[in-house]
Amino acid sequence: MSNDQVAIVGYAQSQVQRHAEQPLGELAVETSRRAIADAGLEIGQVDGFVGSAMFPTAGAHAAIDGVSMVTPEWLAQHLGAQPRYSAGYHGMGQIPGSVALAVDAILAGEADYVLMHRALHNPAGSYHGNPTFEAGGFAQWTAPQGFFGPLAMIALPYTEYLQRYGASRSTTAAVAVEARKNGARIPWSHWYERALTEEEYLAAPILADPICRYDCDIPVDGAAAFVFTSAERAVDLPNRPVYVSGYALAQPPPRRLALHWPLDDIMGAGADTVRNLWEDSGVGPTDVDLPQLYDGFSPLVYFWLEALGYCSPGEAHELVRGGGIDSDVPGALPVLSGGGALGNGRMHGIPQMLECYLQLSGRAGNRQRDATIGLASHAAPHVGGAVVYRSGV
Amino acid sequence: MAQRPLPVPDEQSAPYWKAAAEHVLTVARCSRCGAYSIPISAECDRCHSPDPDYRFEPVTGRGTIRSWTVIQQSFLPGFDDDVPFVLVDVELDEQPDLRMIGRLLDGANAPRHLGDRVTVAFEDLAPGSSVPAFTLDAT
Repeated sequence: MSNDQVAIVGYAQSQVQRHAEQPLGELAVETSRRAIADAGLEIGQVDGFVGSAMFPTAGAHAAIDGVSMVTPEWLAQHLGAQPRYSAGYHGMGQIPGSVALAVDAILAGEADYVLMHRALHNPAGSYHGNPTFEAGGFAQWTAPQGFFGPLAMIALPYTEYLQRYGASRSTTAAVAVEARKNGARIPWSHWYERALTEEEYLAAPILADPICRYDCDIPVDGAAAFVFTSAERAVDLPNRPVYVSGYALAQPPPRRLALHWPLDDIMGAGADTVRNLWEDSGVGPTDVDLPQLYDGFSPLVYFWLEALGYCSPGEAHELVRGGGIDSDVPGALPVLSGGGALGNGRMHGIPQMLECYLQLSGRAGNRQRDATIGLASHAAPHVGGAVVYRSGV
Repeated sequence: MAQRPLPVPDEQSAPYWKAAAEHVLTVARCSRCGAYSIPISAECDRCHSPDPDYRFEPVTGRGTIRSWTVIQQSFLPGFDDDVPFVLVDVELDEQPDLRMIGRLLDGANAPRHLGDRVTVAFEDLAPGSSVPAFTLDAT
């Protein structure tokens, strides 16, 4: 339990773009330098480095440190830092997992100032396309049938959801449109000033029915970094602290074929994740005034709304259809006010975390909302995780 | 035409693919507690025996559709002539929640519903290499 004993004290976010001009490692170094300066610190004071280096492609692209992914160790070396502590998180809930590492390192006294980063790369060519003619290991049970990659992964539980609850994919347009509306207001977003209409959504090609192009976040190059320290040290730094109240990471769900996510696994094991989150953070769903839900695929917003208890199972699509997630409507749940992954680009759980940080530190500029408790979720409820943040007043 | 990816049997899975080549669907079964397991693992999911001495036993190949997707764009080679094709998530009759995924060979336009009954069929990809799929039962 972190109990507001650790705070975020600075950040930086690069431009999110299809292909950056500089190599990914350079982007991560530059962004990290800015985050450290933003926190009012020198590189020499940063003695902890954490992050996730997952390169989430199903394609044949190589994972090369500093080129297509960036590890905390690579980053520390290239910043010229001498950390006492560095660690990488390897689970699916990369952002909450990395936050957990930062919090735990500080609480344990392993580091005083921890830099957490995430750098994501869009390689040339097809992101998930894979020319393999041989399926060995786990792939032998799925690839020969053509079950491959994350689109088919999410399409199965999405069909289950639509069929079980009599929902229509046309309702899901409201998720993508909401994300893009907010992303269009964010200058660093790939989708800045480019909102999406319901008509465009409904006319988009279906890739793995019922998943269409705009249900998927777009692959990008981008980096983000956050600086963490103890609540005691945070008060001496320039920015208003944002405290970590608690977090939860999913426990292992039922063992399945690779990328096989039955809806009952998502919601069943997801209930455990959410129960742990409320216990660890000491708050409940109605205390949170800035829930930021992961949306790498739009149906995940339904799953998180229901898992977190914002509506009953099977009712999220009705909530969405009724304007319940419109961030411009007072009283609605602003779950994509930060644009999410659909409205920024494939930055994994960074947009959710960043929106919590910016709003709760009072640094959201003309997008500033009145909020004191934020929640940032990542991945799916049964394999991911979530963090609760509290504004330092 | 590009060829579809072929399964590469390993020491553990060789009996499965040998049976599949003869159009017999088998599922790994724990010798200790009798639980079926998809996919095969190092230890038993139910009794957690670290030495389950798994055997691939023939099953009926009958089951119930729990979900599906229609693939319009495959990320693998060899499926270009097959798209759009249907993948079904099937719960096999042998054990609650025993789920596998295969192609539904009735075509993308065949009506299907959660709960529809299916039976295994096999696609012969190469000599000695057949993979399980499903067809809708006549109603």
